[in-house]
This record gives sequence, C-alpha cells and structure tokens, in this order.
Amino acid sequence: MRHTLETMGTVASIELPAGWSRELVAVGAIFDEIEGRFSLYRPDSELSRIASGQLVLAGASGELLASYSRALEWRGTTLGVFSPHRPDGVIDLNGIVKAEAIERAGAHLQAVGCPSWSVNVGGDILVSPTGGAQLVGIADPADSSALLCSIRLGGSRLALATSGSAQRGDHIWRGGSTEPTHFVQVSVAAAHIVAADVLATTIVAGGPEALDDVTTRWDVDVITVDRSGALRASPGLRRALVADIAA
Amino acid sequence: MRTRAILGSILASASVLIVGYQAGTTVTMANGISVTESSTSAGSTSGTTASGPADGTYTGSSVNTRYGAVQIQVTIASGSISEVAALHLTNADGRSVQISNHAAPILRSEVLGSQSARVSNVGGATYTTQAYLASVQSALDQAGA
Amino acid sequence: MTTEVRPRPSRALRHTGTTVADYRRNFSRRARLSDLLVMALWTSGATAAALFLASGGIDQFTSVAETVTSIGIVAGLVGTDFILVMLVLAARISIIDRTIGHDRAIAVHRSLGKPALYLLLAHGLLLLVGYGLSSGINPIAEIGPMLALPDMPLAVIGLGLLIVVVVTSIMAVRRRFSYEGWHLVHVLSYVAVAFALPHQLSVGGILSEGSGQRVYWIALYVLALGGIVTFRFVEPLVSSLRHRVRVAAVTEIAPGVTTIQFDGHALRGLGASGGQFFIWRFWAPHTWWHSHPISLSAMPTDNSARVTIRDLGKGSAQLSTVPVGTRVSIEGPYGLFSTTARTSGKLTIIAAGIGVTPVRALLEHATFAPGEATILLRASTPEETYHWDEIKAIAAAKGATCLVMVGHRPRGIDTWMSEADAARGVTLTSAFPDITDSDVYLCGPSTWLDLVEADVRATGIRPHQIHTERFDW
Repeated sequence: MRHTLETMGTVASIELPAGWSRELVAVGAIFDEIEGRFSLYRPDSELSRIASGQLVLAGASGELLASYSRALEWRGTTLGVFSPHRPDGVIDLNGIVKAEAIERAGAHLQAVGCPSWSVNVGGDILVSPTGGAQLVGIADPADSSALLCSIRLGGSRLALATSGSAQRGDHIWRGGSTEPTHFVQVSVAAAHIVAADVLATTIVAGGPEALDDVTTRWDVDVITVDRSGALRASPGLRRALVADIAA
Repeated sequence: MRTRAILGSILASASVLIVGYQAGTTVTMANGISVTESSTSAGSTSGTTASGPADGTYTGSSVNTRYGAVQIQVTIASGSISEVAALHLTNADGRSVQISNHAAPILRSEVLGSQSARVSNVGGATYTTQAYLASVQSALDQAGA
Repeated sequence: MTTEVRPRPSRALRHTGTTVADYRRNFSRRARLSDLLVMALWTSGATAAALFLASGGIDQFTSVAETVTSIGIVAGLVGTDFILVMLVLAARISIIDRTIGHDRAIAVHRSLGKPALYLLLAHGLLLLVGYGLSSGINPIAEIGPMLALPDMPLAVIGLGLLIVVVVTSIMAVRRRFSYEGWHLVHVLSYVAVAFALPHQLSVGGILSEGSGQRVYWIALYVLALGGIVTFRFVEPLVSSLRHRVRVAAVTEIAPGVTTIQFDGHALRGLGASGGQFFIWRFWAPHTWWHSHPISLSAMPTDNSARVTIRDLGKGSAQLSTVPVGTRVSIEGPYGLFSTTARTSGKLTIIAAGIGVTPVRALLEHATFAPGEATILLRASTPEETYHWDEIKAIAAAKGATCLVMVGHRPRGIDTWMSEADAARGVTLTSAFPDITDSDVYLCGPSTWLDLVEADVRATGIRPHQIHTERFDW
C-alpha cells in the first residue's frame, strides 16, 4: 500500500505491506521531529534559532550536534566539497537531515519487523533489506513526465539518492562559486542513504573530478547527466539497468 | 679549494636541474590524447564528426594530482569515445589500483530499454510539492494508493 | 718561557717512509674529497628540486594557486633532503671524518638546521594556502581536509617534533638543559623523519607509484639510514665486542685531573692516530647513560690504552669514580687532529692545561727529523703541568725542541702568553721561527685557544696548516 505525506517541504511516498499502515504514524512523527528541529524555513526551529543567534551551537540539542558532527565528518572525507556551511556562514544541514530522516524511518520499520517497505522522500529512496529486489526509476531531468532509466535496487544497493541543480533551490554550496554545475543530475546507489545523498551532492558540487574521486574511494554506483544531456555510469550501475521488458 | 667546491656545486646542481627539466618537458609533450593522428583539438569527448580523432586506443601521459598520478586511456570507435579507462591511480594506501568503478560515458540508447520498466519508485532531485505533482512518482502513488 | 730540551745533533736520522711529498699528496686527496662532499651536499638539494621538474613541474605555475602549491612542494622536497644530509653528517661516517673531521661535519650539520626547518614550515604553509586557493576555501578551512588525507596527521606530528628539536638546539635554549636531556630530545629527529615518510610516498604526485622519482627517493633514504645504522650502531657495537675494553686503573695525577688506564684486546686494530679521540661510555651505575668524547693521551698498545680527563662538570667528575673492571664501549677513532692532517715536515705544537692530552699522543705517533718539531707547553700554575714530564722525554728522544711557559696571563691585555713572557716581548715568530712552513697544532681551553689562533693567523700562514682541538664541551 502506498501512502504519501507532505513533509520537509516535499512529498514522501511510503510503501508498506498490507496490515502495516499503522507504522505510518511513527514514520510521520520522525519526519515532523526532524522538520521541527532542522527546517530553516521555520523561524522557531532549532537550526533557525542558531542561525539568528538566539541559540548558541554549544547549547544545541544532542541530536542537532550529532547531525552537525556527521556533516562535518563528511566534509572532511569529501575534502571540503560537501559542506554544511553556507557562504554566509549559516549552518545548513539540509544536505544531510533529509537522508537521516529516511535512515531513521527505515531503522524503525526494520525494528518493528516490517518485512518489505520503501521510503521515498523527495526523490531519495531507501528500500527494505529483507524485501527482495525492487525496480526503481530515475527521473529524466529534462522531462518530468519521463524516466531516464530504471535500475534494480537490493543487496548492497539499498539506497538511491539523486541530487541536481534543476529543481529546488540549491542547497549545494560550492565554495562561493556561482558558475553552473557540470552535472545537472547525479544519482548514487549505495548501501546507506546518508552516504548516497552526501556523495550525490558532492558530485554535483565538485564536477567530474569529484565523480572520479567518489567512484574510486567509495563502493557506490553512479549515473550522471551533464548539461548537454550526456550520460556517464559506473559499471555496477550498468549491470543494474533493467533490461527491456516488453510492455 | 673552496672555489673549486663552489664552482663544482654550481655546475653539478645546474646540470641536475636541467636534466630534471628536460625529463619534465617530455612528460608534458606526451600529454593529450591525440598527438599525431588528427589536426582537430585533442580531447574532444563527444565528437561524432568525421574530423574527430581516428579510431583506436590512446593513452595519455601520467598527470600528477595531489591524490597521486592519474593516467587515462581512451578508446575511440566510430569517431566517438566508446571507452574511458583510468590506468593508474594510487588509492589511499599508495598502491596502484586498476579503476574498475570509474563512471564511463554511456549512450542514451543503452538506457532506453529500461525506461519503460514497471517501477515501484522514482528517484529524482528533490522536488517541491508542486513539482511532485507533475512527476512520475505522483502517478505511481495515485495508482497504488 | 724556558727551553727544556734542545735536540742534540745526531747522525742517526731515521725516515719511516712518510715524506713531505706524501703529506702533500694526502692533503690534495683530502681537499678533493672534501670538495666532492660539498658538491654532493648541494647537488642533492638540486636533485630534490629536479624531481619536481621531472614531473613536468615547470608547467605548474599557471595560476597563483598553482604557483604557491608548486613552491610548497619544492620546499618540502629540498627541506627533507637537507634533513637527510644532516642525519648523515651526524652519523660519524668514517669517510666524512677522515676527510673533513667530525667537528667540521657537526658545524655544517648545525648550520643546516634552521634553513631545513624553514623550508619544511614553508612547505606546510604554502600547501595549505595553495590547495585552499584551488578549492576555493581559506587556508584555515583547508586544514581539516588536509588532515583527512592518509598519513597527514602523522606527518604533522613529525613536523611538530622537528620544531621542538630545532628550538631546543638554539644556543639560548640549549644552555638550560643538561647535555643528556638535550640529546634525548634531539634524537626525536629520527622519529620526525620516520613519521614524515609515509605521507611523502602516499600523498601528492611527484613521488607516486612507478615513478623514477620514487625509486630515487627511497634509495636516498636507504643510503642515509643505512649509513647511520652502520656507523652509529653496528660498527661501534662490533668494535666494542671485538676489543672488550675495561677500566684497569684510575689514578689522580693532579688536583681534579685523572688518568684512566684500560685493558682490552687488539687495541692497535682500532687504527687510532695520535691526537684522535673516541666516544666512551662507561657501563657503571651513574655513568652508563652518558657518553664522552675523550682523546687518547698515549698511543695504545695491543692490550692497553690511556685517557686523561679533567673534572669539568658533573659528567666528567663522575668518571673519576668509576670502579676498576667497568666495561666500556667505544666509538671511533674520530678527528683530524693527527698526523693524517699533515702537509709539511715541520711541526709547531702549542698546548695548554688539559690540552696536552692529544698532543702527548700526537707527539708519540708523529715522525719527524730532529729539529723539525717544536712544542710549547703552557700552564697557569705549576699544578697544571701533568704529562709534561712524558712530553719532555719524548721530545728528548725524538729530537724535538720543548718550550715551557708557566704563569697567569696579564690582566687587561688580551694575550695567550704569561705575564712575564708577554713583558719580555716573546712572539710566535721569536719562539717558532719556521712557523709559516710548518703544521701548527693547537689544543687547550676555547678562550685561550682563540687568542693563540688569532696570533698564528697573523703570521700569514695558510689556514689549512692550522689544526685545532677545542676543549670545553
């Protein structure tokens, strides 16, 4: 059964097996908590209060500090390409908290024994490790009513995160650069949603050099679309492409 | 004797630096994908015109980056790049690895077949609620609700 | 000043095979080798920079960021090369000692210290700025990503250790430490080098896998560290095991002055030349953890050797109390204050106080014709005339002239002579008429020796004929 929730400025699509719909409440609560803490569009959120100076970082909640610290770790390993710091100095954790929300929702569903589920928040997808392979499409950045391709998720690729400069306002801060990015859309398939999301953002921000760096240092699969519409894909992703199914 | 030492040092050091410089210029001269084949600019990545580089496999020179040396091998087939392989990259341990995970160009025609698969979810760059409504995901959700 | 011994004319002139021509030849050979060593030092620095050029570095100056980064890389390469050279200079390698002498090697070592450190600091700073500029983040923000690269934290610690080593070696700071304390900190430089090596091989493109540069760099390390291990550790160990030196007798021969007799095996096999010194470590409870450079005060026989020490401080004072039978480990022989450095047939020797020690051995070992050698023994008081009797005896036997000068220096006048002799108008040329044709050997306390050396240079003698050994560590 498919359910949709409006949350964090976008729409979440959650698929649960028959009889498990009650878990929607818990999942919704997780999303609301995270939105309430991290949304920069809400002046009373914890992150907004830090941005306006009402709250000092040192006095923030443990959860916020944990997310911040995790974002900083990623900043380190991506050598600064992924960064929670906006050029104006405000800490913007949107690059990581949506994925963390999906991660927590997934952890909850596993904990309660849900056998097969998928969580899709604004285009970032996490599927259940116990639910068998799932076919997942990737939107075509040039045509919102069409798919670019479809791949099989499962096994060591449970998460698919997509980053792009086409749609929502950039939360990808690229060292103050205002040049258009080389890639308009990057999708990363990985074992964990946070890694997939961060790395997808990293590749959009860092361009082809970051693409090579990410594919070398992390066990992930990638498919990218550049400004002229040309595609690049890692070998693993090619293998995951769903073969032509007539009808 | 000191003068001899000073002059000898200057001479030897200069020789060494010149040898190094020479070795360096042969490295940079070999840079670029096409050296002798065509007169059009080397390194065009998506050329399908007839005046592009001739078919074959080209190995670029090793370029030093702060992460190590990188060397690229490009295969041209039917006038466009069909294969790009990184031959030489040091990973975090300093060991040479053959890059097996490099994201190489893939043709639209290769992904075409998968576009009409029946999928249960659609991944895409974060869309606003507005954009969602126009997306494939919303169609799926409506169908499955 | 009195003349104690004048040579008797003798017909029995014995030449033992070393002629002036031999001395000149040896000297030229050493001079050539010394020049080669200097060339090797500078060329190794140039080679380090050439490694960068050989990677196409000359093209890496197209933008400000690239230029800064390139200079930073070269600074690191040359700085590390200097550090390795410094380690080699301090390793007491026999060929370096025989060519330029251990003292000069250490002087060069000291002079390279600050430049090497400045180069390495520049390396770190410039790369932070350069990489920061090319990533579009400020240098402070670049620190995090830098430290995330493999082996970088270790390299930074290594640099920190090096800073500590250099700072504690500045004279003003070093004076506050005991020698052993300072030395312990100094040894950390090996750790610093070891910590820096991994990042040199894993980060950056110049020394990357499969490059000729990497081969050269590793070979350089192998050579440097191999030399150090061989000459600082293996050779002394072998020597100590082979010669099995022990303290045989400890005798006070004057207030605060002690001779230590050793027995051992095949001591002549050490190949010590009269005037050279060894580094001694006495394995007794209070003395095992420091080592001392002490000259032999007589030529060794196969089974015995002798040194004479003066109580100069806590370390040497304890030596006069070592029990008989104490095991001793030795490193050496070192030093160019010996007949190896001779360039002429004539000898002029001036020694004061404890400075007679190497001179006593030198005189015993040197060959010269009667009348060709003149020695001046200097003391402030009659208590400081130890070993003079032995020296006078050798001088008499070999036909050398021995002059003595006892008495304090005059107040207010800067002279190395006694008040009485200075008043009488004694000069170097009056005491040593052939001084400009001879090899001049000077040994004694530093301040006194500086005055003598100034006087000697004023005679117009060529500098390479002057050999000095300063005695207050």
